[in-house]
Amino acid sequence: MTPDDDRLSTIGARPQMRLEVLSAGDIDAIHAETLTVLEQTGVFVEDDAALDIFADGGARVDRETRMVRLPGEVVEAAIAACPPDDGAPVRFSNFDEGIMYRDPRTGELREGRTADAAASALLVDALGQIDDYAAAVRPSDAPAATAAIHGCEAALLNTSKPVGAEATSGWEVRVCAELAACVVGGLDELREDPIVSFGVCPVSPLKLPRDATEVIVESARLGLPNCILSMAMAGGSSPVTLAGTLVVHNAEVLSGIALAQLTEHGASVSYGSSTTSMDLRFAAASVGSPELALIGVAVAQMARPYRLPSLIAGA
Amino acid sequence: MGHEKTLTAFAAALAGASYVYGAGMTESGVTFDPAQLVMDDEWIAMIRHFTRGILVDRDTLGGADIAAVGPFGDYLSLPSTYAHMREQSQPRVMDRRVREEWEAAGATDMYERARRRACEILDDHQRAPLDDEVKARMRAVVERVDRERGGASGR
Repeated sequence: MTPDDDRLSTIGARPQMRLEVLSAGDIDAIHAETLTVLEQTGVFVEDDAALDIFADGGARVDRETRMVRLPGEVVEAAIAACPPDDGAPVRFSNFDEGIMYRDPRTGELREGRTADAAASALLVDALGQIDDYAAAVRPSDAPAATAAIHGCEAALLNTSKPVGAEATSGWEVRVCAELAACVVGGLDELREDPIVSFGVCPVSPLKLPRDATEVIVESARLGLPNCILSMAMAGGSSPVTLAGTLVVHNAEVLSGIALAQLTEHGASVSYGSSTTSMDLRFAAASVGSPELALIGVAVAQMARPYRLPSLIAGA
Repeated sequence: MGHEKTLTAFAAALAGASYVYGAGMTESGVTFDPAQLVMDDEWIAMIRHFTRGILVDRDTLGGADIAAVGPFGDYLSLPSTYAHMREQSQPRVMDRRVREEWEAAGATDMYERARRRACEILDDHQRAPLDDEVKARMRAVVERVDRERGGASGR
């Protein structure tokens, strides 16, 4: 073959490598099964304010059992309301959030402190491959009620990279936003340049606890990005089959996304996964396993037809 | 430590994930380890390198060089080698030297080199400067919420 063009291939210019573990038909089947689960079984929602938002948005809400059943069209409309993923190249971030910290100077393993949160943020600031910082350790030396705020301050003081803040209440979201607003010049500026974002985890199977719904609602109101990240464990908190686990996972994430969009049409959300299998020999989550890798690929594929950015456990 | 991270992060990156998180984590998320973060930074560089793929064009096919070098020369001193050498992967805490050189340099394992690198960064690196006024405003917010909800600041 004689090359007749300077550009023989576009591989190097724009990577088109795509690892896939699901067919288009598989993705459709998982989506359809998810809609059935959301419509017929529903999700448990702990908080009254979130129940109100779901009820106003067209869900069938049973106040007695706190079960929310979402008609397919409500779910589809919520997906369509999300700002579409911009297709930017993959970004990497650190783990959020460790209970223990290994001090690199002494080798000591101990509970994390505010200074460790600061050190972790400074390391991420320096490392060329880590694009975003996420609250790496909980400052155990700060008052328990404001530890997340101390961690957010330590992060913003030590890195100019985007900060994923730890928040388990609407109040913490507001205060972290206030801190980030100090850096960018105000809450309106923060909306334009969201240097702080949040993340929530439903509790598998099929529960949206108060901390998750408060953070979803408050970040949507403030116009700040939020990741809804499920942590189902196949064989424990979701079906032992990975396909069934993806259905439970998808139902949980989409119910959170629906709440965000019913709160604020066009809220910035991403589709997260730390879902994996439970090693049934030890009753422990298998992280770093082929199952987590398979689910990670599947989730990245599932987020694409939804036009949602995906955030996958990996590094 | 390395194998598991590569399996999961590599798969997610190749699948077209928007974000991959978890660097610095050990023990299934119990412990955050700065040395692990430095090692993960290096795995990620390798993963990124792979996802950039292989560029095939007139220049990279190298026909003129192949003809000029023939079967008996080498490519070390060619201008094209110099021009492209910085595109190579350049791990820093992974050690590619032969055993004798590694032993002469102290025979440290990867974790130890990553730990030292973490300490160097903590000693030397500085965040882009923030205005003192910004810092003071943030401190005022934290002190206010400590008064409102936290009780005494610190133990």
